[in-house]
Amino acid sequence: MNAEQWLRERTYHHSAFWDLKKMVAQKEEQNLKISLCLPTLNEGATIGKEVVLLKSALMDHYPLLDEIAVIDSGSTDDTREIAAAFGADVYLASEHLTEAGDRKGKGENLWKALYLLEGDIICYVDSDIANIHPRFVYGLLGPLIENPDVHYVKAFYDRPLAFSQGIRPTGGGRVTEILIRPLFSLFYPELAAIIQPLSGEYAGRRSVLEKIPFPVGYGVETAMLLDIYNDMGLSAFAQTDLDTRVHRNQETIALGRMAFGILRTFFNRLSSHERIELKGELEKIMRQHRVEDGRFDQVEYQIEEFERPPINTLESYREKFGLGG
Amino acid sequence: MRAAGSKPGVFPVTGTVEGASAGNGKGNGNPRDGDGDAVGLLADLPGLLAPLREEMLADLVMIGQTPAPTGAEERRVQYMMDRFAESGLPEAGPDEAGNAVGFLPGRVGDRTILLVAHLDTIVPANVDHNATVLADRIEGPGISDNSLGAAALTMLPTVLQKLNIRLNCNLQLLGSVKSLDRGDHAGLKFFLDHASRPYNYGVCLEGVPLGRLNYFSIGTIRGDISCRVRPVESRSYGSESAIVVLNYIINRILAIETPTRPFTKIRIARVRAGKSYDVDPDKAVLGFEINSHSDEMIGRVTEQIEDIVSEMSARHAVDAELDVFFRRTAGGLRFSHPLIRACVQVMEGLGIEPDQGHSPSELSEFIARDIPAVTLGISEGSKHHDQIDYVMIEPVMRGMAQLVGLLTALDRGDADAPAAS
Repeated sequence: MNAEQWLRERTYHHSAFWDLKKMVAQKEEQNLKISLCLPTLNEGATIGKEVVLLKSALMDHYPLLDEIAVIDSGSTDDTREIAAAFGADVYLASEHLTEAGDRKGKGENLWKALYLLEGDIICYVDSDIANIHPRFVYGLLGPLIENPDVHYVKAFYDRPLAFSQGIRPTGGGRVTEILIRPLFSLFYPELAAIIQPLSGEYAGRRSVLEKIPFPVGYGVETAMLLDIYNDMGLSAFAQTDLDTRVHRNQETIALGRMAFGILRTFFNRLSSHERIELKGELEKIMRQHRVEDGRFDQVEYQIEEFERPPINTLESYREKFGLGG
Repeated sequence: MRAAGSKPGVFPVTGTVEGASAGNGKGNGNPRDGDGDAVGLLADLPGLLAPLREEMLADLVMIGQTPAPTGAEERRVQYMMDRFAESGLPEAGPDEAGNAVGFLPGRVGDRTILLVAHLDTIVPANVDHNATVLADRIEGPGISDNSLGAAALTMLPTVLQKLNIRLNCNLQLLGSVKSLDRGDHAGLKFFLDHASRPYNYGVCLEGVPLGRLNYFSIGTIRGDISCRVRPVESRSYGSESAIVVLNYIINRILAIETPTRPFTKIRIARVRAGKSYDVDPDKAVLGFEINSHSDEMIGRVTEQIEDIVSEMSARHAVDAELDVFFRRTAGGLRFSHPLIRACVQVMEGLGIEPDQGHSPSELSEFIARDIPAVTLGISEGSKHHDQIDYVMIEPVMRGMAQLVGLLTALDRGDADAPAAS
């Protein structure tokens, strides 16, 4: 399947999956279990609405999801209390898989979710979405339930949005357009068909996710794409247009640090996939500047993209899910 | 106010469970354990409804996030009809006026209760409508007025279904359009004027406050006085700002003597005028309201305002016009009406303090057509509009229990007894 064919055949719009009753029947026919993971860190302003809307529509009304879990990185606001009050299963990431230690980052939560949750399919949705709607979940699950050849579905957002005061759509995000798309075009041209590779919403089959390493920080989305592509090729993917996503805008300087983390992950993958040869270790310090009283200071950020190994290499995971030694 | 032999918390909730056999009728507090009649204790209802809380809150958020300024309620209408259809209502669709209409036939069907919630809001469509769900409350523009009332109406078929309550009387559900401001209840008026069946009772649902019990309407008119400065060449007295002339009119209106008995009040409510600091406005508009227990007094005050507008128009060489677009006659039920007694009893059974008063809302349309009706609130909250609107989460299911309690009481015939003299 070449990129053109893939773009034509594997690009969906969420409205294709509006018939939730039908989707629940298909899920039951296949005897699938589906889990929703919401990674959080101080998302008290948005997590309540996410849990209420998604649980009501996709568990209470149409039993598409078997569990909704919040995996929290140690919020200091009332994120965990709110999520639990509205019926989500709440896990503090640092209290689980303690034998593996504790790392901070979204990727850590996504990785531990594979151990904590039961689903054959895991759907990951960020917790800062102001305009959350059930389509954010069923739009990603639809291709996986309908097509056994699809193993991983990525969200993109294509409807322009009137916005103001720090809220903007993610479509054509700065890091995607300035960093990721040029890199994909250079080294993995087929993956450039993925419209929004950094979107925080995606769903995958456990059988695929358990085999890949997870960077705990910024690089987790990029690593997933590169590793699954390396193992299975473009045909393993699909993407769904979820229309509009509203979240808080990030400052350019913060995106710079994000880009640094992604670049580290990317170059490490280029090396391990034997596409380039690196002469030595990549730097771990990101250097940015600030001006105070006419004087320029350099600020250093240590951005080490620690990676969790494929979770199926963990003894406790293999025991829990009955994998042979 | 209680029925003989009853006490708070043991007011029975009775509805018929389809296919259940006749039993002892004692009831055990769980409407699901049907013994011919689904008999439960009113005070238990909020607990029984608790599993539906997230579904109710989801409807509230989805409705609240859908902009619906008066005259542009189509998306809310569609949402409500979709939900009616999902919950299995045999009739769900729009009427000619654009209202969302649902019908739940009763087992006997000889009486019909009309429940209405207005779908429109004063919030403009270009305002960010995203709601925020916090631990104890939901915030968002218009969430209390009237997203919560609309959500309660939307959830009602599901609530009755989950409680296995099937009433003998029919329920007609109406999400009405064009209610506010110059909409003047156009949706509800159309529906009532073209109804295919008679309605025995009306229940108007508003978001807040829980305990709200409106059953009479005082006379009300609402109008605009517009004041437009004529072109310079036609002026007799030189150029005056439209705001200044409007101010003269306001001062004259405020000088009108209004009696305390019958209670009569003139409210100067809204002024719109002016574009810039360095330009005399050539148009100004005053919005006002007159309330009175006496329709005659409203007529008298209105005549005086008409005279003031005519006089000031001539005196200051402006085109001043009075446009009264909203009229309600005074009327309603007495406190002794069995419908009010039934409401109070249900509220007491749930520990809700009744807060009685008048309402210029949809209730007046029922009053004008001699249909016994009340307006109820669903939860605590605020609708200041200049601050963040919110509704409290905890009381919501008590508000729904109140609605179920009242419907079952009406179904039993508790409000059919003649009113006490």
